[in-house]
Amino acid sequence: MALPAYECPMVVVGAGPAGLCAALEAAEAGIRALVMDENERGGGQLYKQIHRFFGSRHHGAGKRGFEIAAEMVEGCERAGVEIRLSSAVLGCFPGGELLVDGPEGVYLLRPQATVLATGAAERCFPFAGWTLPGVMGAGAAQTLLNVHGVLPGKRVLMVGAGNVGLIVAYQLLQAGAEVAGVVEAERGSRGYEVHLQRVRREGVPVYFRHRLLAAEGDEGVEAALVESVDEGRVRRFRVDALCLAVGLVPQAELAAMRGCRIAYADELGGFLPWHDREMRTSVPGVYVAGDAAGVEEASVAMDEGRLAAVAAAEDLGALDGARAAAKRKELLARLEGLRGGPTASHIRRARARLNAG
Amino acid sequence: MKERKERKESKEREEGKATGEGGRGAARDALQGGRDDPWTAAWEVSRRKAVAVVDCRQEIPCDPCETACRKGAIRVGDDVCALPISEPETCDGCGRCVALCPGMAIYLIDRSADGGKAAVTVPYEMGEEPRAGMEARVVDGEGKELGRGKILEVRAMGGAAATLLVKVEVPETWALKVRGVRLRQMFIEEPEEVEGYRGTGDCLICRCEEIARAEVEKAAGSGFRSLAALRRASRVGLGYCQGRFCREPLREELARKCGRGVEELGIGSPRPPLRPVKISRLGGGDVRDTQF
Repeated sequence: MALPAYECPMVVVGAGPAGLCAALEAAEAGIRALVMDENERGGGQLYKQIHRFFGSRHHGAGKRGFEIAAEMVEGCERAGVEIRLSSAVLGCFPGGELLVDGPEGVYLLRPQATVLATGAAERCFPFAGWTLPGVMGAGAAQTLLNVHGVLPGKRVLMVGAGNVGLIVAYQLLQAGAEVAGVVEAERGSRGYEVHLQRVRREGVPVYFRHRLLAAEGDEGVEAALVESVDEGRVRRFRVDALCLAVGLVPQAELAAMRGCRIAYADELGGFLPWHDREMRTSVPGVYVAGDAAGVEEASVAMDEGRLAAVAAAEDLGALDGARAAAKRKELLARLEGLRGGPTASHIRRARARLNAG
Repeated sequence: MKERKERKESKEREEGKATGEGGRGAARDALQGGRDDPWTAAWEVSRRKAVAVVDCRQEIPCDPCETACRKGAIRVGDDVCALPISEPETCDGCGRCVALCPGMAIYLIDRSADGGKAAVTVPYEMGEEPRAGMEARVVDGEGKELGRGKILEVRAMGGAAATLLVKVEVPETWALKVRGVRLRQMFIEEPEEVEGYRGTGDCLICRCEEIARAEVEKAAGSGFRSLAALRRASRVGLGYCQGRFCREPLREELARKCGRGVEELGIGSPRPPLRPVKISRLGGGDVRDTQF
């Protein structure tokens, strides 16, 4: 089978915050990156985020996710970055070729540098009734709401009180759904307090130390059974949709196919391509950034994307050592700032372990 | 990393939050604290003019309030996780910080009108449209209804996709408690008790190949020690989704059964294609000429 193959200096897989920032940074160093994304629009998850973002002015903080996404896509256009949408990278071979399925057909890319910015996938867990229509990931609910304008249900139960669960619960309310509650197995929220407060302010009860047992219904979800962990008390919530926000998993498959060493860090979502502080993986010419390198914030993904591009540009000889070092110093300081607070202690711990080997 | 006194205190607050009410208690204490705390100052100044109250209590990486303020009345500084410090005397009550705070944690309070009333301005992003003259439910930070208040003014601020600023008239004693207005009546019914719950039985773990959890448990119990072996034996994870739904639950199930850590099982050996693709496309028939 002879697929057409094309040489190019740099391919970025994923047009989310990490990938787009990597392409922008590469463009500054004079490298024209090709950004591949399986979605129809650029911006990754930002594109469907309607809330204002945390972070600093370097990350578009204070703007809404879709506004930040639009700015980054425009920035790429101005910089001459080509973003190929509806183009899924299906594989990465040990020689470094990428297998792409896009509007042009199926073809191979032979980049000198590859930045994997593939993001994360929603974690799910099996329970009785989880295959009923109406059970979905919180991210899927968000896509329905903010991309397709479809309400996932009239009354929804959210499982998981981390940032994703709390943000999507709020967006369900904004779209006119009722949220019967947010169920969380832990004693408190892993999410930011302000997100929890916003949901509570709208009258949504948050059930800590509770867990989902089952979804009930014939044609679709009609109810959810929830148990209080400490008392063993079981209650039935009458809802027509059930959203799961129980964590994200880095999409590390391409890196694994390529032969990159895979590390494990529970705090960062599980298996991920091992990488150094400069976002180099164990395979020369392969870099990783964003949630694919460990699930964190969009602002972190942006700076990691830039770091990865600096490393790639340096390795390709497009950026001399001194300039690369200066850029890197600034980006690492910014990342240290973003990870500096008490809510990121687990991230710092995992990163220290990762850097140690 | 800079070790700041506030950071230490905030850490303590956060730990308190994890076990329940500590965070809010600490905030209440802060409110009743010494002369130099910003809320007390804002309270004093609000006698004369509308002033921002920054209710930001968790050190998260966020600083748009600093640049939102054109008067320089809010400072975060170089440490993006530091809590903002506001200067009520400098604040001109414009409300930009209220609109732009991603946490919706800034409010304006104005006690300059007499008669035991205060005007509180809160950010609003729900679907129902607030209008001046309407009555709204006024809620505190826990979502508890304090009572009703009359909407005095509605403004839109903060870019093309603006945030509404709703100014509501409330008794003066609520001025520091108000955190939101609610226009919608939700019908949250109490969940019903389920007596004598006896479990739900088995469920599918691999939805594409329709393989029950019990089958996986059995296979794991009979000596399979890797996802790959389990896949070969049962076709679990080999359906249309290629394991995208069930991979993590399978790993966890297997780890539990084998008494091993998830990390010991490894990521497996993913192979192309990552997504389903038609064989005819892989044949390369419909590839257009591509320019690079």
